[in-house]
Amino acid sequence: MNSKIKGTVTVKFGDDINTDYIIPAYLLQEAWDKHFFAAYAFEKYYPDFPKICAANPYNDNIVVGGINFGCGSSREQAVYAIQYNNVKAVIAESFPDIFFRNSINNSFCVVKVSSTKEFQIGDNVEIDLEKLTVRRNGSDEEKIQMSDEERNLLIAGGRLGQIKERLRQRLLTAT
Amino acid sequence: MSGGQTIVEKIVSRATNKRVKAGDLVQVLPIDKLYFNEVIAPPAILNFREDFESVFREVTSGSQKEIVVHNRGGKSRMKVFDPKRVCFVPDHTVPSCSVKVAQGVNLMKEFASEQGIKMYKEGDGIEHTVVTEEGFVRPGEIVVATDSHTDTVGAIGALGFGIGTTEAEYALAMGEIYDFFVPETYKFEISGDFQAGVSAKDLILHILGTLKEGGCSKRIAEYTGDTMRKMGMDGRFTMCNMSVEMSARTAVVNPDQITFDFMQDIVRRHPELATELNESMKGMKVMQSDPDAEFSTKMSLDASKIVPQVALPHSPANAKPASEVNDEINSVFIGSCTNARPSDLMEAARIIKGRKVHKNVNLLLIPASRLTYNWAMSEGILKIFSDAGANIESSNCGPCFGKHMGVLAPGDRCLSTSNRNYQGRMGSSDAFVYLSSPATAAASAIEGKIADPRKYYK
Repeated sequence: MNSKIKGTVTVKFGDDINTDYIIPAYLLQEAWDKHFFAAYAFEKYYPDFPKICAANPYNDNIVVGGINFGCGSSREQAVYAIQYNNVKAVIAESFPDIFFRNSINNSFCVVKVSSTKEFQIGDNVEIDLEKLTVRRNGSDEEKIQMSDEERNLLIAGGRLGQIKERLRQRLLTAT
Repeated sequence: MSGGQTIVEKIVSRATNKRVKAGDLVQVLPIDKLYFNEVIAPPAILNFREDFESVFREVTSGSQKEIVVHNRGGKSRMKVFDPKRVCFVPDHTVPSCSVKVAQGVNLMKEFASEQGIKMYKEGDGIEHTVVTEEGFVRPGEIVVATDSHTDTVGAIGALGFGIGTTEAEYALAMGEIYDFFVPETYKFEISGDFQAGVSAKDLILHILGTLKEGGCSKRIAEYTGDTMRKMGMDGRFTMCNMSVEMSARTAVVNPDQITFDFMQDIVRRHPELATELNESMKGMKVMQSDPDAEFSTKMSLDASKIVPQVALPHSPANAKPASEVNDEINSVFIGSCTNARPSDLMEAARIIKGRKVHKNVNLLLIPASRLTYNWAMSEGILKIFSDAGANIESSNCGPCFGKHMGVLAPGDRCLSTSNRNYQGRMGSSDAFVYLSSPATAAASAIEGKIADPRKYYK
């Protein structure tokens, strides 16, 4: 992933957005293809979400949340549902571990900042994963709360390459 | 090193062969057990095949030495990390409620047979109940599964973590998870005896109401105190199950004599597991939080002050005393991984017995496992429900997440013993879901409105 992400805030949510709101559970078993879920993102909570994302001609949507964004179930489909609506990143005040890990594993940018209160629809956002900073409408840089391991994984596009090498070594040793 | 350890630190230390403390980063955490439901197993299996096939092919064909284990009859040469430590439980919408679900279950069966993985049958029960009742998960183990309610297994003193499809796929190949921060522990010290008609569900709803949905985030909830020491396993499962609703990383209860008796009962039903289970029970005594362990946060509660609770729409943390809620309902669900074990059914049955379900209410009962179902049948409990006019289904997750067996229409009001009442969770986003204990659910099913069950105990 490019370590510099530019985007426009197109959707802003409040606190405790759970994964049922992001993608309703009744859909999870109906497809094994990650792209399927985008059309149903926020179906029961904010059904205009796909339409609003699609209306952004630059395909650079940034979603803003409050505290505890992505709480509830462990469904990774919640990440796909947002990601495949041309969303470049979610910026929130906190993320529960499961959603955060699922996002990183899919090379989907989740950014934790101290406050999202100032963010508004239409804001231009610049995220720099090398420096771990975020700028809103050219404002001062604010620090992103993310460990170096997480950042490196995100830029590397997840850890599949690492795991494959680990598996290869294990299989070779086993012989 | 000085200072005691929490049970969490002890379990992770044992797994990593290194003394760890909360906040430490464990780069590679070996897991003891991994289980899947039919929601996530199908994509995880397909991803596992797609992502790792080339590695298995390269290593097995590039070397003269034969490491192919499952290459009989041209079958896959791919192998999961350890088939004996993986199991599949089809539980969410079985018997299959759609063609795609049926295809997913068939894919699991095929993969399980190819790999030598134990696959439970449709109707054997809800995953977290099955893995604990059947002795698959044991005290002191590190367990991951593709469901956030894996925290349920904390009731037997194991550490259960819900994971997504990708981590599960990697765990299937490697038996590991990565970059694991050892969580801090939030200690809940609970003392006193419950009033008649009050149970673990009321306690956890009360705690949720106090802490709200993010109140235990990043931490593990440890439930302790004399109330917990006296609480049966069923109540402990309920407490641990709902901990994720306050964003706890997972939950745990220190194993004790009640845990030991629960495990002994499994040995009686499964003598073939006796050696392994007895071994894990030996370790139980040392897998306890030390008196001088460090807890990041503590809360003390008096169980005798807890009254029957109801979580109002649309949040599990929206708790209110049942006596203050008089809302009419037209649907009641007694079931789910939260509250469908023997003592849950017994509590509800003692209220339902000899009475009729209210004319406006559809009451649905789904025992959590085949074991519980058969027990309830032999005890006459199913008959009590049936005579009262309830619908009884074979064990599965039922309508909890709005896919089958009682999907709600706009305007419907359902009282459920499950764990989530988010808007739209059980069907229409214009339906209203309330959460309660089985006793409150039973009393409300009779009265057609939300009712405090304590009057049925006088």
